[in-house]
Amino acid sequence: MKNIFRLENIVHRYSERTVLDISKLEIAEGEVVALVGPNGSGKSTLLRILAFLEKPTEGTVFYNGKLVKEPSFTQRREVTLLLQNSPLLRRTVEENVSYGLKMRKDTHNIKERVKRALEMVGLSPEIFAKRKWFELSGGEAQRVALAARLILRPKVILLDEPTASVDSESARIIKEAVFKARDEWGSTLVIVTHDLPWVYQITEKILSLFKGKLINYVPENVLAGDWKPYNDGLLALRLADGQILIGAGSPQSGSLALLDPKDVIICTEMPEEDSALNSILGTITSMSLISESGQVLVKVNAGGKTISSLVTEKSVKNLHLHPGLKVYLHFKASALKWI
Amino acid sequence: MNYIFEGVIGAFYLLLAKDPETYSAIWTTLRLSTLSITCTLIVGIPLGFLLGHYNFPGKRAVRTLVDTLLALPTVVIGLLVYAFISRRGPLGDLGLLFTIPGVAIGQFILALPIVVSLTASAIEGIDPKIYLTLRTLGASDMQAALSSMWEGRYAVTAAAVTAYSRVISEVGVSMMIGGNIKWHTRTITTAIALETGKGEFSMGIALGIVLLAFALTANTLVSSLRRRA
Repeated sequence: MKNIFRLENIVHRYSERTVLDISKLEIAEGEVVALVGPNGSGKSTLLRILAFLEKPTEGTVFYNGKLVKEPSFTQRREVTLLLQNSPLLRRTVEENVSYGLKMRKDTHNIKERVKRALEMVGLSPEIFAKRKWFELSGGEAQRVALAARLILRPKVILLDEPTASVDSESARIIKEAVFKARDEWGSTLVIVTHDLPWVYQITEKILSLFKGKLINYVPENVLAGDWKPYNDGLLALRLADGQILIGAGSPQSGSLALLDPKDVIICTEMPEEDSALNSILGTITSMSLISESGQVLVKVNAGGKTISSLVTEKSVKNLHLHPGLKVYLHFKASALKWI
Repeated sequence: MNYIFEGVIGAFYLLLAKDPETYSAIWTTLRLSTLSITCTLIVGIPLGFLLGHYNFPGKRAVRTLVDTLLALPTVVIGLLVYAFISRRGPLGDLGLLFTIPGVAIGQFILALPIVVSLTASAIEGIDPKIYLTLRTLGASDMQAALSSMWEGRYAVTAAAVTAYSRVISEVGVSMMIGGNIKWHTRTITTAIALETGKGEFSMGIALGIVLLAFALTANTLVSSLRRRA
């Protein structure tokens, strides 16, 4: 599949502070890419660069195989970005949705297209088209903002935490609508989100950003703290309840440990001695079903830290897992990755 | 106290009887203020947008200067404009002294900082995400700029109304540049000053009522727009 974006040696700085440092990133046409990482890791900056709203301080961006020095009008108009709490213009819903088309002077059959776009995001055109911007709830406003982008049939839709501050019904409709756009028009989706169950459900291409750099691990379990030298060149982190996490490797000073949820095994009883050095007792706080994939993201509180584990539905049934249950988290010291 | 009461009765009589001298001052005020505010808005709104929207070296200094000019006394403006357009001044040949356009120049200088400063504040007050949104929806620089301004339309209109209130109620510029010439450059405010000096309270009160009505209308409009902004 051909690449819609190729980024090479991208460095972006605000004043003297480097916020993004990516040596290579390729996104294929029609692909769904999830961009995850803690706040301040550079996700939104990367989206703004992909949306041609900012030029990287250093490096090259290729769009559709062409080097982009100054994005052309056409290139800019093929890519659209939906922000978290995307603001609406102080106009009616209909005027908001049709704004982009009017800017393109593409007003053919515009009323019908607005109607279809509103229907795509689950809003009845008869009820909502004439409403003013202040007559909408947060979820409805975000859906109108999405409709304003979907009506443009963009080649690339960049979504910056699109469902972070909306109700669950709006979140479901937004998720469905963007995938409908992808299925119908082959739009490429780049989604920044903290909603890991959704991420696991929609794509296998998960890009993790940490301190502006792409890392190969999902930063779901960030184990920060005072890691101290332990026996045999290992490192230890004492949890609030006295339990000890053990990690292998040689991190630099101030490094954080990351633990992929896939590397964490849940046991209801203390496992027998094996090569995995960590068996941490904790309590299940929440469980999220990742539909279609048949997996469940289980969050466990252990000594004040939340550690997630990705398990199969079958394991959940066999082990009778449920929130409140005390379980052992079993993982190898070498499963910890240092960043 | 009787003279005040008689003055009020006389004022209503002048207004209802459509006294030509009273209505001449009202008409002159309207002509003059319309001319000066139109010129001010044509220049002030784009300047205010530039000041509010763009970042450039020295922006803070320009902003401070504009805000300082908000407090420019009308007599100082009158003095400056007089110096330029009087016969001995560099623009003396234009014959603007004691004319409506001459007074309009002074009122333009008075109102411009108000429009620029309040428009800049209105534009700065727009959610920065709006501009980003306009760009992501495919607006060109010019389209995004115009749409941003449209987003701040209520606050910008409030700036215009505030400037208009200032212009119709000022007396220093009108007196010094206009010369308070009857049937020609006599405005509501200069007429009030003159008639009060002469002890003719009726016309002063009549014109005062009209001025207050203008001010009340303008302020009602401003507060309504501020609520929507």
